[in-house]
Amino acid sequence: MTSNKRDKSLIVIQLSGGNDYLNTVVPYADGKYYDSRSKVNIPQNRVIPIDDQFGFNPSMGPVKSLWDEGKVAIVNGIGYENPNRSHFRSMDIWHTAEPNAIGKEGWLARAIRDIDPLGENVLTGINFGRGLPRALACPGVSVASVGDLETYGLFPDVQDEELRMFTLEAFSRMYGNVAGRDPIMDLMGRTGQDALQGADILRTAPGMYSSSVEYAPNSLAQNVKSISQVFHANLGARVLYTQHGPFDTHSGELATHAKLWDEVAGAIGCLMDDLKEHGTEEDATILVFSEFGRRIKDNGSGSDHGSGGVAFMIGGAVNGGMYGEYPSLSEAEQIEGDLRANNDFRSVYTEILEDWLELDAPSIVNGQFEKLGILQS
Amino acid sequence: MSTQSTSTNITLDYVKTIGIVNNGFNGRGFANPYDIVVDPDGRIFVLNRCDPARASAIRIGICTLDDEYVGEFGKGNGTGDGQFVWPVAMALDSQNRIFITDEHSHRITSYTTSGEYLSHWGNPGDSDGELNGPAGIAVDSSGDLFVVDQHNARVQKFTPDGKFITNWGSFGNAPGQFNLPWGIAVDSDDNVYVADWRNDRIQKFSTDGSFLGTFGSPGDGEGQFRRPTSVAVDPEGFIYVADWGNERVQVLSPDGDFQILLQGAATMSKWGEDYLSSNPEEKSEREISNLRPVLPEHLNTPYHISSQTEPNFWGPVSVSLDKQGRLYVTETNRHRFQVYQKH
Amino acid sequence: MRNNDTALMAHLLRRAGFGASRNELEEYIAMGYDGAVEALLNPSDPGNMPDDLIRRYHVEQSELRDLAGSAAYWMYRMISTSCPMEEKIALFWHGLFATGYAKLNQARSLLNQVDMFRRSGLGSFEDLLVELSKDPAMIVWLDNNENHGSAINENYGRELLELFSMGIGNYTEDDIKECSRAFTGWTLGNAEYMAVRAAKDSIWPYGRIAWHFDYRDEDHDAGEKTFLGETGKFNGEDIIAIIAKQESTARFVATRLFQFFAADEITEDGEKAIQEMIASYFSSGYQIRAMLRTLFHTDYFKSDEARFARVKGPVEMVVGAIRMSGNYQNPALGIEKVSDTMLYMGQGLLQPPTVEGWHEGSEWIDSGALVERVNFAARELSDVTSPGVRSIIDRLQAGADHGVLEPSDLADRCLDLLGPIEVSDETHSVLVQYANRHGSLDLNDHKPGDEAEQRVGNMLRLVAATREYQLA
Repeated sequence: MTSNKRDKSLIVIQLSGGNDYLNTVVPYADGKYYDSRSKVNIPQNRVIPIDDQFGFNPSMGPVKSLWDEGKVAIVNGIGYENPNRSHFRSMDIWHTAEPNAIGKEGWLARAIRDIDPLGENVLTGINFGRGLPRALACPGVSVASVGDLETYGLFPDVQDEELRMFTLEAFSRMYGNVAGRDPIMDLMGRTGQDALQGADILRTAPGMYSSSVEYAPNSLAQNVKSISQVFHANLGARVLYTQHGPFDTHSGELATHAKLWDEVAGAIGCLMDDLKEHGTEEDATILVFSEFGRRIKDNGSGSDHGSGGVAFMIGGAVNGGMYGEYPSLSEAEQIEGDLRANNDFRSVYTEILEDWLELDAPSIVNGQFEKLGILQS
Repeated sequence: MSTQSTSTNITLDYVKTIGIVNNGFNGRGFANPYDIVVDPDGRIFVLNRCDPARASAIRIGICTLDDEYVGEFGKGNGTGDGQFVWPVAMALDSQNRIFITDEHSHRITSYTTSGEYLSHWGNPGDSDGELNGPAGIAVDSSGDLFVVDQHNARVQKFTPDGKFITNWGSFGNAPGQFNLPWGIAVDSDDNVYVADWRNDRIQKFSTDGSFLGTFGSPGDGEGQFRRPTSVAVDPEGFIYVADWGNERVQVLSPDGDFQILLQGAATMSKWGEDYLSSNPEEKSEREISNLRPVLPEHLNTPYHISSQTEPNFWGPVSVSLDKQGRLYVTETNRHRFQVYQKH
Repeated sequence: MRNNDTALMAHLLRRAGFGASRNELEEYIAMGYDGAVEALLNPSDPGNMPDDLIRRYHVEQSELRDLAGSAAYWMYRMISTSCPMEEKIALFWHGLFATGYAKLNQARSLLNQVDMFRRSGLGSFEDLLVELSKDPAMIVWLDNNENHGSAINENYGRELLELFSMGIGNYTEDDIKECSRAFTGWTLGNAEYMAVRAAKDSIWPYGRIAWHFDYRDEDHDAGEKTFLGETGKFNGEDIIAIIAKQESTARFVATRLFQFFAADEITEDGEKAIQEMIASYFSSGYQIRAMLRTLFHTDYFKSDEARFARVKGPVEMVVGAIRMSGNYQNPALGIEKVSDTMLYMGQGLLQPPTVEGWHEGSEWIDSGALVERVNFAARELSDVTSPGVRSIIDRLQAGADHGVLEPSDLADRCLDLLGPIEVSDETHSVLVQYANRHGSLDLNDHKPGDEAEQRVGNMLRLVAATREYQLA
């Protein structure tokens, strides 16, 4: 049970590839939706209604349950001005909070730096999965990328304990001199040192974890389970990140999208159950986002890159509800056939940084943005 | 595409295809089948090799010619009793025992046709009676077993409980030598035929290993083979060869003269029909598709052609015969077998 | 050390290949640098692990129903080829024309695309783009099968210009439209059935059905088009001919080749090399081979600046370590787990994260990836039963004074035989100290797996764990 007031943690689930907003939060009462989405739509009788206008994709049962408990904030029409429809560029924009320039520092990496300026806890931010997202990347900020929590660490195959220790010690010395000779060598030096520090600690997390929640055998659910294990091990992890995909449904969208959301909703449901079981529902907030939504008109089999999308914040401390206007489907309002974003994503970032992680937002998101009230008590 | 293949001496009529891919861990369908034996009651036993992701469900499935999936047995993946790692081939004896080779565990495992585990024997090595990659296996008229010992380039003969009797062979391409041999068969005179895989030929021996003759040479012409994996001989002495590398099956006369060439003529199986009727979108697109396309130059090899010409054999790894003159061709890449009737 | 033949050849082989064991290196040194460049750029018989053997034992690599076996199949090829440049160029194009399994659910066709890169990847860039446009895996990946005369789908047209040739800023949105129009009708056989199967990940009833190119004239928009200022009734080949002659295309290709084969970062001297490559592009009729020949002969490439100027990608890391250890020369159970490690390091074969491929260079290094990389190489190269390590032990013994190695010699010779790898003074002193722990090493009468051999394995492990080993 919550005996100590613990620092709040942010859990991020990135949906990679451009999640289709229109088929996630479905405007089922709007005839224009069915006109535009003649092939790639969710029939009215299959939508899970939120109200008389909008409903969830049928695969999102667990999200609906949480919605009913008031723990889900839907952020409508989220994006940025001058939408960019390239995965690479748009995801970079979300990751660096820089729509108008090429950002080099991830917003969460900056947050981690502000939380832990001296880098005293290498586990402040952790990525679960392969390939560190740019959001967590910044020179000088160490973030572990954990593929498999149970076996994470160096030289696990060396049986002789003494030899292993001796080798780790040599490794530590080899990686110890960060003499500013060369950026790559320095990067590796720091990364190696941090990996050493983090590994032994991280590996204890599963052993400390006990839960009745059973996570599904897909990669997202397993990563989310690892997130839960580390979160509940109280290692000071403030940012825990993972991703899922591919949401880039140019064709064959309906089946793919349904399967993906089945996995995402399932993982979120399990995680929330887990938090509830541990009494930590108010100590973690989940952000779910994608780099853009998809076009209003389908292409007969799927949908192409669009702009304005949807994001979710889920957790015990969230003020559930819909935030912002659902973008209009009328021609006059569209941007080149796309939904017009009316919520700058940096508003959500600002809210998270200020009200959740207790940091100075403008320096991280390069500007002042109005908060939506998702987390304010 | 003709479904009747005929020479002056023998005709093979295509009968049907049985199978569907089973992507799970049990139930109707096959998962990379590697061999078939048919019991006197007409039950068809199919050995599923399984890919690594499904290895935990390595099993022998049982079905009938009427497309009934009767059941399955096996104890999964591993080296415990009744388990398999890389199962290759089966032989059925007159006491309703099925002997299955495992080329990774270097052993022979036996089950009853009711699915009860009996025993296993075999140890890795190259001394007499030891095995290195047992592949094909066949029973002779006394119930003794001939086993292809592929990495030792020899054939070994055992009693049903694994007592060593004799062996012959060495590595090479001279008569009586082998290069990664695979399949084996015994005819009604107890002569032994070996699919000498990497020598692209079939060799014939007497029961004690005296060389009697060789059939085939490397190539893709009639009577030529590329990596033959399996051989079967019917009571009249016709020789059926799974010409795996050429994605086809050939029949030779008892003297080794080319008779018939089969490329496969698979039609929709019953289980396949069941699937399509619940997936009308796929079914309707399939119906207007050309499943025998003309392919560009760089894809003009038997393997590539078969990878997108569904009726053709793809991975015909085994030929088996029943007592009613039927030929069963096991296709590992298509999770099915095609049945032909000899006349 | 830097300027000797061995170090230069090792550098060439790290770039045009996956590094080389000392045995391999000596063969190339015997050809001389020019000879080695020509041999590498003109692959003949790769002599790789034969398909029949692979398919006999790995039923999943025969059928290619799923991704795991398919990636492992390519890995076998990279491990066992004697034409490493062929695999490197295929890997290069695979990263650039990034086509991913997740949408296709058709591994045979993806591997056919990789085959096409082997076949055409060193030839004319124009021809390569035409082959790419006809490649059914690419067609499905970028939805060109949905690009109809009556309803244009711009995905391929856009990416062809943005990501596969000229790059943003060198064409307009109208050019994209016109380009897309030209590729209408470029589809695959049984397109609708194949698209349904891909969308549903259908394996029924009889497993996968592979793909081939089909041109549907009746679906082609044969009208007049204006593309990059030229007008005509262009079909796809015509568009590509226009693309191929653009300066921006030459620069794009030269830059990408440079970053993959020379250095992650482009310095002033690197830029000069790129200029020479651009000139070769035009003078040779767009030949990739000519561009690479030019690159490998530049002063820049042979200079200190270019040594160890790349971070090894995960594929290079894994394949390089295995080629050094000499393991996996025969079909072996569990091979797909090895190809999974590349995925954990951030580079899954046949599954680039998006059409933009992988972010390379320093982006390969993060805590998780570094741990995976070090662990894999350390485990592979400390295995004294592996043929490559045994060969190293033999060479160490042969080169030792009466079979006895002083600690610093052990460290130096291991660095030499695994590369030669250059390390900083600090790294070097740690390696020597590590070797010092047990004093001089007597390799006389060493027996398989004995303590003397283990000491070699332990030293190799530590060398494989250095920062410097991460660089190519």
